[in-house]
Amino acid sequence: MENLAKQKIIEDLLPQKFGKQGTIWVIGLLVLCSIGFYAYCRQLYYGLAVTGMRDYASWGIYISNFVFFVAISLVGSLITAVLRLSDVHWSTPLTRIAEIIAVSAITFASLIIIVDMGRPERFYNLFLYGRLQSPIIWDVIVISTYFIISLLLLYFPLLPDLKIMIGFKERNGKWLQKLYVFLGSFWKNTPAQFKITDKAINILAITIIPVAFSIHTVTSWLFATTYRPGWDSTNFGAYFISGAFLVGSGGVLIAMYVFRTHYKLEKYITDMHFDRMGKVVVLLALLYLYFNVNEFLVPAFKMKKSEEHHLLGLFTGEYAPIFWFAISTAMIIPILILIFKKGRKPKAAFVAGILVVVGSWFKRYLIVTPTLLHPFLPMYDVPASYKHYFPTWEEWAIAIGSLAGALLVITFFARIFPIVPIHETIIETESNENETHL
Amino acid sequence: MKPLLKPKAMKMKHIYKNLIIILGFLPIALMAQKTEKENLVVGVRYFNNNNKTHHLVFKTKSKVNGKFKNIPDIQLAVYITSDATKANLIGTITTNDVGDAVLLIPPAAKTEWVKSPNQTFVAVSTATKQFDESRGELAITKAKLQIDTVEGKIVNAKLVALIDTVWTAIADVEMQLGVKRLDGVLSVNETPTFTTDSAGGTTAEFKRDSLPGDSKGNLVLVASVLDNEVYGNLTAELSVPWGSKFSHISNFDHRTLFARRGHSPIWLELLAYSIVVAVWGIIIFLILQIRKIKQLGAV
Repeated sequence: MENLAKQKIIEDLLPQKFGKQGTIWVIGLLVLCSIGFYAYCRQLYYGLAVTGMRDYASWGIYISNFVFFVAISLVGSLITAVLRLSDVHWSTPLTRIAEIIAVSAITFASLIIIVDMGRPERFYNLFLYGRLQSPIIWDVIVISTYFIISLLLLYFPLLPDLKIMIGFKERNGKWLQKLYVFLGSFWKNTPAQFKITDKAINILAITIIPVAFSIHTVTSWLFATTYRPGWDSTNFGAYFISGAFLVGSGGVLIAMYVFRTHYKLEKYITDMHFDRMGKVVVLLALLYLYFNVNEFLVPAFKMKKSEEHHLLGLFTGEYAPIFWFAISTAMIIPILILIFKKGRKPKAAFVAGILVVVGSWFKRYLIVTPTLLHPFLPMYDVPASYKHYFPTWEEWAIAIGSLAGALLVITFFARIFPIVPIHETIIETESNENETHL
Repeated sequence: MKPLLKPKAMKMKHIYKNLIIILGFLPIALMAQKTEKENLVVGVRYFNNNNKTHHLVFKTKSKVNGKFKNIPDIQLAVYITSDATKANLIGTITTNDVGDAVLLIPPAAKTEWVKSPNQTFVAVSTATKQFDESRGELAITKAKLQIDTVEGKIVNAKLVALIDTVWTAIADVEMQLGVKRLDGVLSVNETPTFTTDSAGGTTAEFKRDSLPGDSKGNLVLVASVLDNEVYGNLTAELSVPWGSKFSHISNFDHRTLFARRGHSPIWLELLAYSIVVAVWGIIIFLILQIRKIKQLGAV
């Protein structure tokens, strides 16, 4: 009986070939990536002049995209580390989803920074001649560290699953089989091996939390260490981290729904998971809303002359539509949806997740660009185009291409590896059954 | 006999003829308007520095749309005495991009300079496409400004002018008494300007006690008459040890958060490198654990 249940779990959770929908989805993403790549080639050829960035708005949607990617990557540490160390077991089927979101997002965060450079061939100078005093160097160090830790956190729990997948040689095909053998042929399910992986995962779970906090705090310091309206805040680290956990959790809600419906994983990613993840999102949205109130209400109460232009631009001026859209879609509406039990049902939670992610992307744009267009010293004797920023088609194509690229990494990962951990699910099912028998 | 053209047609022909004549002359009239040159104003100022060097400062400007605009690249021939002949030429100079030019009065002008207690300087601009030749003139009476101190930090200044070969004290001339600071002069006390008495002198108490001087505490006192119609600009300087000793401590190239690469504070380096070593140490340890798992699998 036990073996039958085990076989069923393995059968359900093994990676599946792309169906018709999956193929269309992949082709669509590849097309978006190709358009983005073409736009980037144009940018390489003609220089950053093809973008809408000028002397004042020197950071545009590339940097907002970078902050968005770094933010969403933090979910890996939340689901895998924070919940694991808190002895929360319901999140087990979501750990791999969270980790692959983290890895793909952090990969594209690194790439989009290179895209933002006018002379990418000089990137190595950052390592050769970087100043230790600069938050940019801290960001480079912490991003590469977080990437490696996330990869390890993805790899260690995958080892027992690789062993299972190697057993399906005919189903895998030649190349996948070679890959599985390369990555995990040495795994023999011995207690000594399990002991080492458990220890390694625990160490990683502890290590990734300060690194994750550092990665987004340092990203916030890229702004906060610069004396500008809207960025001159001591609160920025906490404000960024709370926002990052929110957008990451929103992303997990979307991925949960997509994988559940597409791969028919209703038994493994259940309504209970949506219910609990929904509660997590409500908590994080309230926390982020609290930080937003702090970030905007206090300066608005004082309305210092130097910040007035920037704040009024956000509240009632040029950026007001995006500002209120971001606040309502990233926080208020998702709270209103997910606070009710019905709102935490899969479909409603999926919609709330999309709202969170879309609103959060625009929130990052609002953090980066309006500040640059409201410097302390007035803009004087500059061309009219310097006073406004609107991304060119190349910027949109590259930004959308990078988002498509991140989704492509997740898609291919789910095609190659089980998106819900097989071995851990078997163990948990068995232990649940044992508890029931007792 | 019947006329060849009807009266109305003849009238039209007459109008066309006039129009052709007007249109033909219009460009010539416009060109004539264009060639009308603008007025160039040449300003001349005289400076006597510490009774040692003398120089002249010139400014070329012109009225454009009711406002004066500085005119650059104007060549000026400068003469001593109002007789602008080649024999009295003391130099030629071209104004810079803001219409300024400076000319030191050369030693060669001494013969003419000593002839009279009053002196005239003339600057004549070379005609250009835009401007006709213009002339600026300045007449001055030779004068000297002297500065001295008495005990108790009192500053004395005296103005004398050459009147009929005799240096005579000049009363009722406004002057400033100050201390030389970076790019300016700070008055010796709260009074901004002083006026000479019948003996040509003026006195002021030095009240700037806490001023930093050089490494020995020296300050430079300055007496100056500015843009006087008769005497021009006169200054006299005197170094006095009335300031506090100041030695500049430079933070340049020290280990600071704003220093260049490789000059970060030691505490930051210790903190950053120890975090990096600790975290990457853990990562390396974990990678070694993969190796260990591999070895266990091989057994």
